[in-house]
This record gives sequence, structure tokens and C-alpha cells, in this order.
Amino acid sequence: MLPYNWMMAVAILLPVVAAVLVYIIRQYHVRGVIVILAAIALIVNSILFLLHGKDTFSPANAQMWNMVVTVLDYLILLFYIYVGISLKNWLVLIFALTQIIPLAWLEFGMGGSAALANVNPTFVVDHLAIVMTLVISIVGSLICVFAIRYMYDHEHHQHLEKSRQSRFLFWLVLFLGAMNGLVFANNLIYLYFFWELTTLICFQLIAHDLTKEAIGNAARALWMNSIGGTALIIAMIILFAKDVPMSLNGILSGGVASAVLLLPVALMCFTAMIKAAQLPFQSWLLGAMVAPTPVSALLHSSTMVKAGVYLVLRLAPAFAGTRLSVMIALVGAFTFMAASGLAISQTTGKRVLAYSTIANLGLIIACAGINTPLAITAAILLIIFHAVSKGLMFLCAGTIEHVIWSREIEDMEGLAAKAPMITTITAIGMLSMFLPPFGMLLGKWMALESASVIPLAAWLFVIASAAGIVFWAKWLGRLLQVLPKLGSKIESLSLSYTVPLWLLVLGIFGVGIGVASVYTGLVQNAVADVISSGQALAVQGWGLTVNGVSAVSSTANFAVGNYPVWPLFIVFAIAVLIPFIFVAIKPGELRPVYMCGEQAGGTDTDEWYSTADVKTKVQLGGYYFQGVLGEAALNPWTYTLSIVLMVIMFAVALLAIGGAL
Amino acid sequence: MNAWIIAIVTVIVAPFIGGFLAGIDRRITARLQGRFGPPILQPFYDFFKLLGKSKIAASRLQLMWIYAYLVLMITALLFLVLRLDILLMMFILGFAGVCFALGGFSSRSPYSHLGANRELMQMLAYEPVLLFLALGVYAQNGSFLISQIYASPTPLISRLWPIFIALLVILTIKLRKSPFDLSTSHHAHQELVKGIMTEYSGPYYALIELTEWYEIVLVLGIVSLFVANPLWVGIIIALAAYVLELFVDNITARMTVGWMVRFVWSVGVTLCILNLIWFWVFAAFKGVS
Amino acid sequence: MGIIATSRLKSPWIMHFDNSSCNGCDIEVLASLTPLYDIERFGIVNMGNPKHTDVLVVTGPVNRRTARVLKNLYDQIADPKMVIAVGTCSISGGVFHNCYNVLGGVDKVVPVDVYVPGCAARPEAIIDGVVMALQKLAKLQGVAL
Repeated sequence: MLPYNWMMAVAILLPVVAAVLVYIIRQYHVRGVIVILAAIALIVNSILFLLHGKDTFSPANAQMWNMVVTVLDYLILLFYIYVGISLKNWLVLIFALTQIIPLAWLEFGMGGSAALANVNPTFVVDHLAIVMTLVISIVGSLICVFAIRYMYDHEHHQHLEKSRQSRFLFWLVLFLGAMNGLVFANNLIYLYFFWELTTLICFQLIAHDLTKEAIGNAARALWMNSIGGTALIIAMIILFAKDVPMSLNGILSGGVASAVLLLPVALMCFTAMIKAAQLPFQSWLLGAMVAPTPVSALLHSSTMVKAGVYLVLRLAPAFAGTRLSVMIALVGAFTFMAASGLAISQTTGKRVLAYSTIANLGLIIACAGINTPLAITAAILLIIFHAVSKGLMFLCAGTIEHVIWSREIEDMEGLAAKAPMITTITAIGMLSMFLPPFGMLLGKWMALESASVIPLAAWLFVIASAAGIVFWAKWLGRLLQVLPKLGSKIESLSLSYTVPLWLLVLGIFGVGIGVASVYTGLVQNAVADVISSGQALAVQGWGLTVNGVSAVSSTANFAVGNYPVWPLFIVFAIAVLIPFIFVAIKPGELRPVYMCGEQAGGTDTDEWYSTADVKTKVQLGGYYFQGVLGEAALNPWTYTLSIVLMVIMFAVALLAIGGAL
Repeated sequence: MNAWIIAIVTVIVAPFIGGFLAGIDRRITARLQGRFGPPILQPFYDFFKLLGKSKIAASRLQLMWIYAYLVLMITALLFLVLRLDILLMMFILGFAGVCFALGGFSSRSPYSHLGANRELMQMLAYEPVLLFLALGVYAQNGSFLISQIYASPTPLISRLWPIFIALLVILTIKLRKSPFDLSTSHHAHQELVKGIMTEYSGPYYALIELTEWYEIVLVLGIVSLFVANPLWVGIIIALAAYVLELFVDNITARMTVGWMVRFVWSVGVTLCILNLIWFWVFAAFKGVS
Repeated sequence: MGIIATSRLKSPWIMHFDNSSCNGCDIEVLASLTPLYDIERFGIVNMGNPKHTDVLVVTGPVNRRTARVLKNLYDQIADPKMVIAVGTCSISGGVFHNCYNVLGGVDKVVPVDVYVPGCAARPEAIIDGVVMALQKLAKLQGVAL
């Protein structure tokens, strides 16, 4: 096994080296090989972390690294100022200044740099961090491999004069290193550095195509996340002023935060919520759709937004049992509901996916707010399952885009005939997002079973999950409707597409069927590292049982719920997979659909005789309810309510201080 | 071992009960319309006749989804009789509904599309109430397991009667009765033709009939949970609810989809939430005192 | 096949198709659905969809445009299927015989099993026609009605 400092170096610095290499080497195949090698190294390394278990790490020459981090911090912020001025985007400029001035004040004016340098250990790799690094390294790396070919096709379609693929892959690979650093960081200045680094990379990736829309949306992502960065610095200043050690360990060491500490914790959660695109900050993630699809895949599944939910989960013990916890649950649950509702009205595939991401992140944050062992378990499981499923979904969306060159759901009609393989994979991905026996539903089920502590959150969950069924099934239906042609050819795709896709499909079934092992081997420890009280879930025979620590009933000690994992997968196999493979129809058995007897021809056409015997094509469309559920109709309400919820969240934290004084 | 026997018996017996109830439905409906009506066994004749028709399909995928619909409906029913997790049962029932809708979407038929879209709207209407029902069960028993409902001495209906009323509204949708027979209907095929079922014929349509029989037993079983101790009272209540649905079916006309969603959400969901708020307040007071 | 053959005779679902009749026979067909005649006693249901139909009830003479539709509908019905021509027009073209747009009786387009004459055919006759179709089916299957 590698020495531990080497493992850390591989996790954080190897992506940097690989990124520089792919930037320098402008040759398609060599570049591809480097990305693949880096991906393999990262995946192996993350598994080594799992085998190694919990540990801490401080770099040998801390002085130098602190200097590097500080210098890079200011460089990033100066770059933001440059962006703000050159784009004449004053919001970017203002929020860059609100970061750089307090940061300088904290480090040099208040003398915080000494306190920051003294933090020991610099990195803490506990089981939650291990879960995160597994997700980042495995799912993220697969997406990078996918991007090799995708960007080639992307530029081919755009007819660019000068290839910019190197630049793109540079930022993409660098992202993985930044995320690994973020989840390992214990020192707050390191956390802040990696946080800003992800914001910067996100900006660069969204702006990649350099269209007016891309740059505008990138700038929006930048200023919104800069608000978060500002909140993080303010939290650090308050912590420093209160003589709390400047590390995550320091904040969490005293169990539930004292009333005075609740405000910095609330600020950090606020930062995390912006990064996790919670309402009312969802628009940066929706805007990120303009970027090439691997960016969306990376942002939505394994990086960026997951940093947000990671931080809230990490801080969960600090606000356990407080009113702040309730408010965080409500913000998350409200986002879950509103985003699910808005997703129904979306006509663009990637926007539906974006809203679904926002919704699921809301669910995870709500679980952190519910803050029982069961809820935390649900949250961590959801992070894993969501990363795999959503990574797959976006890669599918990207592949579909390169098959039909459109993102509109209506254009995907009949895709099953044009591209059966990618349609099948997409269908599996969609089913895994909202139906049993797959992991996402298991997570939702656990979230609902734990939500009785905060009933309002549970009600929002219920409504959201009904809306979720509608928007997924609607899209899936569009995808699958075809003329009954027999023996359509399976499309051929580049290996760079198919390998990540099939590996992720394998991953969905793997973590779904083996959820008991995932729980006992990985999640259980992570939950114990987050909150060390009680085992919420027991593995019993074929299923998972929720232990009864019932708040309502006094006759405790019976199971609250039971989820038979394997039987459900067997049912799924009998119900869907086996028929899918074996349903055979002889060509003679096919008949055209009923069109009042006016169809023109056999099963191979969808034309009918309209007025004056004119052959007309059948046109079918989905329901979108733009009038009731569209963004124009709902956004005034969702923005108002979510801002009110955020304000109450801070009011609760401030009131706690008032109470303490 | 015992569970296996119960499961096998359920799978075999349930369609007979369901088909018999469907026969009674047609007979009572005929009487309400001043007709004599078909024999009680008519649904079985229809079923076997359909089995004997030649196999015709409009698309391959359609059959896959209809098998899935049947298998998942049986699974949901097994969750009920084996007394497992009620919340998970609702999710599986949801999966069954999704499969049915996908079957409708999988052929390029205007009528089955219309039906499938409406089926999804129906799910949007009834799914929250079913999930609220599960939350209500937890609020009363402190467990999502159906076995705890049977073990509990107090019947659910004593404290969950608002949710019970909401469930009756849902029952109309689930049994595809007027005014909510929107995605497909048993009779009066005006603008729908046969809605989501239009493109299924012969043996495949027989599968849908079979699934519907399981569904009748399942939803009436859910109704009977409200008085699980003693079970026969629950069963009588379930049968009464069924007859009530028949009356509702015959005295109302089909409404629009939008009206259905608005009605169920305003009446059903509100009743559920009020019910749960009451529990919450009750628990809070108990905690204080 | 015993139970299926028996069931076939007890559950004939019909579809009514109007070619270009004067609507006299159509009204009589609908009349037979009313409580007075109540054909559901015999398990007869008007499905209005070829995919679920066993017996195709056709009224009116076939003209050049409806011939196509009639053929399409007939092809969409799953076997075994029966066709009943109701009314004089659907048998021979009736008063529309030799019109420039009329082809003639239904049997010009699809094979007809039972002819129910009358102008218009009475509900009793129509019900009798369906029963005769069933008898024919029973004979084909070799079971007693």
C-alpha cells in the first residue's frame, strides 16, 4: 500500500499534474490516455482510502503550503475582480470585493493567519470524507473519460478553427482534485480555498463555449457562489473573534454548538445551500446547462453541488436539536417540493434533470436538517445513489444530444427506434431515479420514515414525490413511443461513451442490490462519524429494517419499517427485465394503432387520411402545464417563500444569540 | 413457510374475488339503470374469451409494461397480505401505475396517449393521499408496518377518519369510476374510445382485466385496514365502500382532468394534512403534560 | 379449449360501424342497448374499438370512401371475428343501389357471416342476428350453444 502522504498527494495533486499535462499535450490520443490513466489512479486511490480507514493528515512543510494556499486565494479573488471589471458585471465585482476585503482583514488586520496556520491536523479523512472521495473519484473520473470523445464530437459539430478541448479537460480534471481537497479539508482556510477553487472551475467550465449566454450564466454562477464565499468568510471572522479553533473539528468538538456559535454555523450552511443550488439560488445551476454536457454531469452528480450537501451534513451535529435544524429541513424540503413541481413544466431534457438535481439536493439537505441517525443515513445513501444515477442521466442526455442534436423532450420522441441502446440505458437511469427497487427510492423511503420529527417537511416530501413520478414518467413515455418496427439496429457509439455508461449502469445495480453491504461497510461508519448516536438501520436477512425508536408510541422496540432489498430486485427482474428480453412478437401479430379506421397503410407508417384524403402525420405531444406549473407562474411564489424561509433561518440563529445574552 | 402459503393462496384467490366483485359491479350498475344486467360470472367469460383471441399488438414495449403492471400489482398485494411496510407498498403501487402509463405511451396511438397522460394526472392526484395515509398510520402506530396495524387495539378509523374520507375519494380514481374515469372507463367510451387501454387486444387485454381484479382486492384491502381488529368489520366497511363507489359512478358524469386534480388536492390533501396536524398538536400536548 | 369456447359464446363484444346509411338502422342498433332490450344480458357490450371487438355490426351501403375504413377496421379485429350486416342497404345497397358512389353491400369489402334484413332492422332482429352469429361460431367450434 502507498504511504498515506502519497495517497493524499494522488487525491489532490495528481489531478493538478494530469490537468497540466492534458493542457500542454494537444494530441487527441495521448491526451485521452492521460485522462484515462489519471482516472484509474484516482479510482484505485479512493479505494485505498476506503481500505485505510479513518485518519488525519498534515503536510510536512505546512508553512510553505499555507503560503501557497493564501497566495492562490488572493489570486483567485483578484481574478474575480478582473472578471467583474472586464465583463462589466458589477455583481461579480461587488461580491469579489466583499470576499477579498474581509479575508485580508481577517488574516492581516485581526491576525487570523497565525491561528489558521496553527490548525492541526490540516486534513481529516473520516468515513464521510471517504464516501465523498469514492463518489468523486469513481463517478467523476468516468465523466472525464466520457468527456474525451464528447468534446471531440462537440467541437466537430461546432466547426471551431482552434481546438479548445485541452482547456476544457484541464478544468474538468482539476475539478476532481479540488473536490477531494474540499472534502478532506479540516483547516477552514483550506476549506475556503478549495471552495473558491470549485467556484472558479465552475465559472471556467460554464463559460467554455464563449457564447454570450454561456458567459452571462457563468458570471451568474460566479456571483451567486461569491455570496456564499462571503458568508463563509464572515463565519470565519466570527469564529476567530470567539476564539474557536479555525477548523471543522473545532466547530464540531463541543457537540451541539453553543448559541453564539449558531450564527457562523448558519452562515456556513447558507454557503452550502447556495452551492447546492437551493431555492432561491437555483438559477445558477439551471444556467449551467449551456455548458457542454460533461460539465453538467460533473456539477450535478459528483462535484460542486455535492460539496454543498457535504458541508451541511458535516455540520449537522453542530445544529442538532436546535430550531436552526428545523429551518434547514424546511428550506431543503421546500426546495424538494418546488423544484419537483417546476420540473413538470420543463420542455428541455437537461432542465428537467437540473430541477430534479435541485430537488434531490433539497431532500438531502432536509435529511440533514431532520438530523436523526436514520435521516443522516438516508442523506449519505442518497448522495451515493444520486451521484451514480444522475451522472448516468447526464451522460445519457449528452449522448442523446449527439445522436439527435437536440435537448428538447419532444424531439426525443421515438428515440427507441433510432438508438435502442442509449434509450435502454436512459430508461434504466430514469427508473433508478424514482422507482423501487433502486437506491434513490430507498433513500426517499428512509427520508419519509424519518421525517415524522418535522411533519411539515414530511408533507412537502409527499407532494414532491407525487410530482416526481409525473415528470419522470412523462419524459420516459416520450422516449419510448415508437412505431412497431421489428429488428431495428443497435447504434454504434465510441467506447469513450459506452464504457462509462455501462459502468454506471453496473454501478446502479451494484449499489442497489448490494445496498446492505454498502451500508454496513461504508455508510454506517460515515453516519457514526457524523453523529455518534444509535444505529438506525439494521440489516436483516434480505432486507433493511428501521429500528423503532418511536417518538410517538411508548410501546417501542418494534420495527418502524422494513425494506426487502433483494425480493424487490427479484420482482423487478421478473416484472421488467425478463419481459424486456423475452417478449417476442412475430411480425404478423403487429397491427397499426386505432385511428378510427383512417390509417394510411400498415404498421410502418404513422400517417392517416385527413380532410380531402390528404395523408397527414400523427403528431403527439406531452402535457407541460406551463400556465399552472411554469416558471413564470410559480417563480414569484417560490422565490418569495424560499427567501422568507432563508430569512427565518437566520432569524432563528440570531434569536438564539439574543436568548444567550 | 407460512408466509409462502399465504402468498400463494393470495395470488390464486385474489383474482376470483376481484372478478366476482367486478361481476357484482356490472349487475348493480345494470339494476341502477333499470336493466337486468349480465350474469355475475360475466367478467370471467370476458376474461376467458379474451384469452382465446388471436394475439395482436401495436408495439413490443407495450407488452413488457403490461406484464410489469401485473407483477407489480401482485407484489403490492403481497405486501398487504404479508403485512409488510405500508409506505413501500404505496411506492410499489406507484411503480405499477407508472408501468401502466408507460404501456400507454409506448405506441403511437392518439387515444392511448391521451389516456396515458391522464393516467399520470390521476397519479398526481391520488399519490399524495396514499402517502399521507402511510404517514397517518405512522402517526398513530409509530410504525409503518402493516402488522402493527393488526396488532394495535385501536382501529385506524378512530383517529384517521379524515384520511379515510380522502381515501374514499381516491378509491373512485383507483377503481376508474365516474366522475374520475378519465384515463379509461368501463363504459361510455365517448371521446376516449378506451383511453389508455385502446391498443391492447385479446390476451393482453385479458392481462389488464386480471390486474384490475388484483387492484380491486388491493384497494379494498387498504380500506379494510381502517378497522383491522376485528377484520370482518373492516371487510364489511370495504364492501360498503365499494357499493358506495358504484352509486357515485352511476349518479355522476365524467369531469375534466384539471377539475379532478384541483378537487382531490383541495379536498383530499387538505383533509389529510388537517388530520396529521391534529396528531402533531395532540403529540405536542402529550409531550407538555 | 372448453372454457374458452364456452366463454366466446357468452361474451360477444360488438362494434357498430355506419357506412353511409340513412341512420334508421343506427338508431335501432342503439335502441337495442337501452334498458328495454338490454343486450348486456347476453354479455353483449358495445365497445366502439376494433381491438376489443368480436362482432362487427355494419349498417348502411358501402361507398367508395367508407370501404377503406371498413377494411381497416376489419383488419384490426383479432380472430375469431364475425361480421353482421344490418339492414337492407348493408346487404345489397338497398335504395342506394347503383348510386355513382356506392359499391353495394358490405360483402363487397369484408366477408359477412349474418345478414339481418329490414328497413330499418328491428332491435329484436338485430339481437337475433348476434345470436345467430354465435350459433354459427358454436358450430364452427363444435360446441353447443
